[in-house]
Amino acid sequence: MTNAHPLITEVNALLCGFFVLSAFAMVVVRQIGACIGVFIAQSLLLAASAFVLGAQPLSWHLFAVGCVTLLSKPIVIPWLLRRLVPREIYTAREISQSLDVPTALLVALALALVGFALGARLVHAAPVSAPENVIVGFASLLIGALVLAVRREAVPQMLGILAMENAAFLAGIAIAPDFPLIAELAIAFDVPLLAFIVALLTRAVYRRVGSTAVGELSALREHAR
Amino acid sequence: MTLWQSLALNVLQLAFVVCLAPLFSGIAARWRERVQFKRGPSIWQPYRDLRKLFSKEDRSSESATWVARFAPYAVCLSPILVTLLIPVLTDFPLFGAFAGDMLAAGFILGIGGFFLTLAAVDTGIPYGAMGASRTRMVGFLAEPVLIVILFAVSFVANSTIPYIVQQQWVSPPAHFFSPAHVLVLVAFSMLIIAETGRLPVDNPAGHFELAMIDESKVLDFSGPSYALLKWGGAMKTTVLCIIFVNVLLAPWGLASSPAPTQLGIAIAAVFVKVVALLAALVVVETSLAKLRLFRIAEYLGAAFVVAVTAMIAAVLAP
Amino acid sequence: MILFAAVLLPVFGAIWCAFPRSGRAAPFVTALCVALSFLVALWVGARVAGSGMLVAFDGWVQVDAFAAVLMLSIAAVACSATIYSVGYIAHLRQPPRRVRTYYANLALFIVSLMAVSVCVEPGLVWIAVELTTLLSVLLVSFTDTRDALEAAWKYMIITLLGATVAVLGVLVLFWAQHVAGGTAFSYAGLAADAHRMNPTLVAAAFALLLVGFGAKIGLFPMHAWLPDAHSQAPAPVCAMLSGVETSAVLYVLLRLSPVFRAAPGLHADIWFALFGAASLAAAALLIVQTHDLKRLFAFSTVEHMGIIFLGASIGTATGNLGAIWQILTHALTKSFCFFVAGAVGVVAGTTEIANVRGLQRYAPFVGTMLLFGALAIAGAPPFAIFLSELTIALAAVSSGHVWIAAVLFIFVAIAFAGTIAKVAGMALGTERAPGNHHPLPASLVAVIAVAAVPVLVLGLWVPVGLGTLLTQAAAQMTSP
Repeated sequence: MTNAHPLITEVNALLCGFFVLSAFAMVVVRQIGACIGVFIAQSLLLAASAFVLGAQPLSWHLFAVGCVTLLSKPIVIPWLLRRLVPREIYTAREISQSLDVPTALLVALALALVGFALGARLVHAAPVSAPENVIVGFASLLIGALVLAVRREAVPQMLGILAMENAAFLAGIAIAPDFPLIAELAIAFDVPLLAFIVALLTRAVYRRVGSTAVGELSALREHAR
Repeated sequence: MTLWQSLALNVLQLAFVVCLAPLFSGIAARWRERVQFKRGPSIWQPYRDLRKLFSKEDRSSESATWVARFAPYAVCLSPILVTLLIPVLTDFPLFGAFAGDMLAAGFILGIGGFFLTLAAVDTGIPYGAMGASRTRMVGFLAEPVLIVILFAVSFVANSTIPYIVQQQWVSPPAHFFSPAHVLVLVAFSMLIIAETGRLPVDNPAGHFELAMIDESKVLDFSGPSYALLKWGGAMKTTVLCIIFVNVLLAPWGLASSPAPTQLGIAIAAVFVKVVALLAALVVVETSLAKLRLFRIAEYLGAAFVVAVTAMIAAVLAP
Repeated sequence: MILFAAVLLPVFGAIWCAFPRSGRAAPFVTALCVALSFLVALWVGARVAGSGMLVAFDGWVQVDAFAAVLMLSIAAVACSATIYSVGYIAHLRQPPRRVRTYYANLALFIVSLMAVSVCVEPGLVWIAVELTTLLSVLLVSFTDTRDALEAAWKYMIITLLGATVAVLGVLVLFWAQHVAGGTAFSYAGLAADAHRMNPTLVAAAFALLLVGFGAKIGLFPMHAWLPDAHSQAPAPVCAMLSGVETSAVLYVLLRLSPVFRAAPGLHADIWFALFGAASLAAAALLIVQTHDLKRLFAFSTVEHMGIIFLGASIGTATGNLGAIWQILTHALTKSFCFFVAGAVGVVAGTTEIANVRGLQRYAPFVGTMLLFGALAIAGAPPFAIFLSELTIALAAVSSGHVWIAAVLFIFVAIAFAGTIAKVAGMALGTERAPGNHHPLPASLVAVIAVAAVPVLVLGLWVPVGLGTLLTQAAAQMTSP
């Protein structure tokens, strides 16, 4: 499984290292535009990893996955967001979150360690072509969940979900390289649809509430009104 | 290699650092201005400043004690001691190489900074105390980063002696791209920016005392003391840059035998490498705004996270 | 093939709604397409009951007995919900463009639900489940109030979070099968290779899928979105969400359960039982203190999902029969309850329990049906749910898991008491403040009347074809 060229292994490991850094960056960034930039970088890293892993042994399947990722995530989704969500929310200086940045970073670090431990257990149980993908995938999944929990704004919450999906697919290209292509293509079309629906809902929230701070909406509760 | 040769090489190393440190700081200052399309001072200006300052009178406040008189010497001596520990020109260890590892180097530099901080409080001016407390905040946040970087390095190289670490990531070339290596580079460069007081942590060319972190500590010194402080600061920056390029980033071009031609090539190579690193730092400086004081904690937190990721990558490396 | 017809017929309704001139006809065309889809589903069910599996693409799209049961319940609820929408949406008086969008959205949502029942390849199934979420979000926020948008956002975020965790579970399952040398990535293929798969991988996949799909099913503690989404969405949408969407995802987990059962040391049945019992208990206790009728029915959904899990955890043929039957009866009964809740909202103007009194006086039809619905969903005889719950309890006792039967009995009793207390207060008693009461649109009356029939009838008599389907499905699930 690991009889690939060592340069390939090292470069792939490097891409995974930057991938987990981008997951941390998503916890830290303060502007929504910067959040989108981090997401684009993460998607590019995912596509690059797919291309690198598909280079040797040669797998057109992984190349197709990389191309589809490259088309849908860094290009289509930011375009959808820019077009559908009102422009004003991108110029806000700082977006609110429930935890301050250093605390959120430390929690993210703890989650990353848990993710690394879980991924390492799985990788030891069964052979896989690129174990670092699995480990980083699990860690970034948990960090994406933290982004979702911590952010109070709509667009970063959605980017947290998409980051989790990126992480799941980063693990997927290593553990399931010949996952049925039809399913991969369908998933690729499903992600822009997700962004579309979320953007529509965000627009509706902005129109009705006046801001996209969905974490502030907490009127529905169990007490009699 | 005889003892005399080894001593001579050590002296050569020291001379390299001591003599060229002001030149490096002059180059950095000039390029910082040139990037902004201004003329900038001459690269030899720091030497002229040092000469002027050594000929001036040394005055200190009445309440200052021996700490304020001793601090310039401490600040100047600590980089000199560290130079003896690190590979500046040669990639074979000289005597003194095993007297301390990178952790010792970090803490010896810390001794210089410690005395300067005490002296800033000792002189009695309010800006000094303010700068001292801010420097300590940056310092204690940067400590974990340094220690975790050294952990990461030691997982890979099984040692923290700079000469041994330097062999680790050079060959085969694939190892250069290993995630532990690259993440250590990123974390260490963020650390250098914090420790040497460059933007985005602190503005070395700023004149507004309330915004200063490092510069306000030296406000009450004059004459030769001030000259020694400036020189010591430049030497500290140079030493950190040399550790970065010679041990971690590009450990090529060093002399592998005491032959004069090799040494000449090594001097030129190290000069070019340090200047290239300074150019990169200048580009980073001029493209980022200064961080608000309490955001420095976030910056160093991010550096810490990068360092821990490097360590995990080093542990989990297949 | 015929399966594609069943799944894709409502698309024509959606296409019709895309044209701006469709206007008044849009609801009726959509309802017609969905009704045709229901008829096709009936035919498919009869075919499967008679001659076994119906295959479109082997290993990808095929329908066996369990899938046919699910397909029938989806189609039935979809048909009734669409016809109900005709009157309900008209009552809401939204602009025509929004109404057309609603019907198009509803049609596509029905398509995605039917797709969940016919796909057998877990990747396709995951896509279908994700599509059900995406296509129902805008339906939940249809009334466009601040609370509706909050509910829709919470629903979307929690279920998408679950879906993302679940996709990793599907990939790990693929990995496990690949390493064990199997090639057929479908329910049947996975069950066949189950004994060879690496237990650590299967355990990881189980955890991921349970948490991921559990968020969509509404298992405790991932149920937080259910009451909010149901209290804010229009009644027909609630009926579909509660009645069939949660059941469809539960169906997926149950189809994958042979893989988890075969893994040594995983004790999947104990986990199922724990989550089921926790959901049941939490829901019963939450029912007692709720203040809104639709929230009450939403908690009841969580309760029934817990009961189905408990039934499936037993492992015997009778337990599986009870669980599958509960899926069908719950779909029919819960949709009926939400139709009635919608009618209460139309007639009295609100669904707050404290604000509605004496429905029996000024709207006798709605009041009676409300009592029927509450009794039915709480599990009173002679309604359908009583029989399926009884089956599960008997299966538990006869296979030695007496604690399951005890938990079932206690918490169903608590939920029963809570439901009846609150609903009786609404239906009986004197009218609080006689205000102006809206008349009930005709389609609502028709749908409620028709939907009440199977709720009662299935508690007394099971048609032969349906019985065959149910026993076949239970047998399939029991023996790998």
